[in-house]
Amino acid sequence: MRITLRLVGGLAHRLGFSEQERELPAGTTAGALLAALGIEDPGSVITTRNGWGIAPDETVEEGDRILVSPPFSGG
Amino acid sequence: MHGWTGGILRVDLTNRTWRRETFTEEFALTWIGGRGFAAKILYDELAPGIDPLGPENKLVVAVGPISGISAPNTGKTVVAAKSPLTGGYGDGNLGTRVTEKLRRAGFDALIVEGRAERPTLLYIDDETVEFLPADEMWGKGTYETNEWIYARYGKGAGVLNIGQAGENLVRYAVIRSMEGRAGGRPGMGAVMGSKLLKAIVVKGSQPIPQAFPAEMKTLGREDLRAVRALDQESAWSKQGTTGVLSWCNEVAALPVNNFRRTHHPEAWRVNGEQLQAATVAVYGCPNCTMQCGLAMLDTERRESELDYENMGLLGPNLGLFDITQVATLNYLCDDYGIDTISGGGVLGFYADAVERGAAPGDIRFGDFEGFRRLLTAIAHRDGEVGGILAEGTLRAARVFGHGSEEYAMQCKGMEISAYNCKFIPGMALAFGVSPIGAHHKESWVITYEIQQTPRESYGRDKAQKVIDLQRIRGGLFEAIVSCRFPWIEVGWGLEHYPKYFNAITGREWELEDFWPSADRIYALIKLFWLREFPDTTRRDDYPPHAWFDPQNADTEGPIAGRILEYDRYDELLQHYYDIRGYDHRGIPTRETLERLGLGAEAAAAEAHATLG
Repeated sequence: MRITLRLVGGLAHRLGFSEQERELPAGTTAGALLAALGIEDPGSVITTRNGWGIAPDETVEEGDRILVSPPFSGG
Repeated sequence: MHGWTGGILRVDLTNRTWRRETFTEEFALTWIGGRGFAAKILYDELAPGIDPLGPENKLVVAVGPISGISAPNTGKTVVAAKSPLTGGYGDGNLGTRVTEKLRRAGFDALIVEGRAERPTLLYIDDETVEFLPADEMWGKGTYETNEWIYARYGKGAGVLNIGQAGENLVRYAVIRSMEGRAGGRPGMGAVMGSKLLKAIVVKGSQPIPQAFPAEMKTLGREDLRAVRALDQESAWSKQGTTGVLSWCNEVAALPVNNFRRTHHPEAWRVNGEQLQAATVAVYGCPNCTMQCGLAMLDTERRESELDYENMGLLGPNLGLFDITQVATLNYLCDDYGIDTISGGGVLGFYADAVERGAAPGDIRFGDFEGFRRLLTAIAHRDGEVGGILAEGTLRAARVFGHGSEEYAMQCKGMEISAYNCKFIPGMALAFGVSPIGAHHKESWVITYEIQQTPRESYGRDKAQKVIDLQRIRGGLFEAIVSCRFPWIEVGWGLEHYPKYFNAITGREWELEDFWPSADRIYALIKLFWLREFPDTTRRDDYPPHAWFDPQNADTEGPIAGRILEYDRYDELLQHYYDIRGYDHRGIPTRETLERLGLGAEAAAAEAHATLG
């Protein structure tokens, strides 16, 4: 399946990209996707799917837009 | 007494007199410092009903026990007064060298009373105070004023100053310091202007009293390095606060066109990545190792320091997606001394009102030149519209009429920060119950809502979370007076702050020991508001109608068709009151006040209003 992966803030700087299309095996969870990015602790980032929060054990679906961001606070 | 200087400097501009006063250890431990000191002083000394722009208002500049010491991000100072914007208690904090210099001059707080006869610069050097003429700088912007002061007193001096907006009593004028620091959203700059006080300059040379100075020096040095390492590891300061803009756009929380929309396909053009690429200089507050003041060149090739709030409100909220144009509006706000949040909120409201036929004019969303002209008009109160908009959205809406108050995006008269809560109940509550009017600094619950709870929930946990964050952000950080960013942005643990406090004061406090004072400060501020508005109701803790209006719901995107619900918001509000021990109006009950040691303050309030 194909998804869009978006990184923001310092995370984009650290991992070297801000947006990518990615092919994933069916059944990939959000936690597994984060682990593939080198993020072992899902609690250390904020992850959303199509604008809504997604838990680490939830399965990513075809066409999803996944956004991963640091836990920032605004100004 | 270790940890506090024990001194308060009281200055009377009318009579050009000053005196040093002292406070007790009990006062220090009860109110801690910063906001705590300011709230207590203003509550005790201001008669209810005074004109906030009259000589009877007082400006309090207050630091806390860890302010100014060599430890992570301790360069902040609180400025407070009765707010010209809201009519209630108002305060803000800003990074400034005044923090350290005031303490080295022997003071934890400065109280400015009265009104000068002519534009004045207040000069404080240890225990010398001078009232110097500032006529030649009256009418000048904050950048030129700052340079003028640096040329005379050196760059190491602590400086607070105002621009034309403060001079002309724009109700959301801020106080400025250093290259890009600003604070006092509820019109603290206008309070200075009303006193003809153009600037405050502070020098000081005495040591800051510390119980264990050697231990604190080692701790502070190590921790400054540690915070720098955390920032480098996370790369947070590459974009600073502006990294949040793309996230807000993604989760439908970005203010677009006066909060009418929650996201926009062009938002990427004004996001953190664009700012990072355009950054030409980085500025920060004293004692900061994770500086977030990213400056880029504006349309006139002037340095303009952007953060998320001004990007959001002077950009998408005005229908602007050219980052150099946003930088220009931001530069003008900073130079005039206009709060960028309220400035963007007011301009967005006006464009909305014009579009709906409620207000005269031809401004449209996306009209950069029009907004630029309006900012200049507001700062100088030029023309009828400039004068109306200088009053803030709520007063402007009452002039324009035609139902425009429903989309005046404010709480208690202060414009909402750049989080569009059309469908974010807990963050809407955080704005509604903020003790100074809508401000994100008190409780930033939005990521908790999006990530850890059902977004659509109005559960008690959200009210509890709002309170937990108020205690930390508005209670702890605003009283010890230190920047919250190391904790919230790079994961610096809260447990470090009692260590600093104990090394400075010689106490053995745990983190939990700060919560009673945090709750006490919030309750006292509530009493301040009650005395000013005895007929207050729970409706005063509601956000604007636009967030509840089904006709204002998004038509596409993540929250299409979703909107806040009045009944359920009211239930959430009641949870907040129940946990806090407040009555149905949102006022602390007599029992709560007694528990917090506010019996005398309650009695003072009862002379003007009833307690439940």
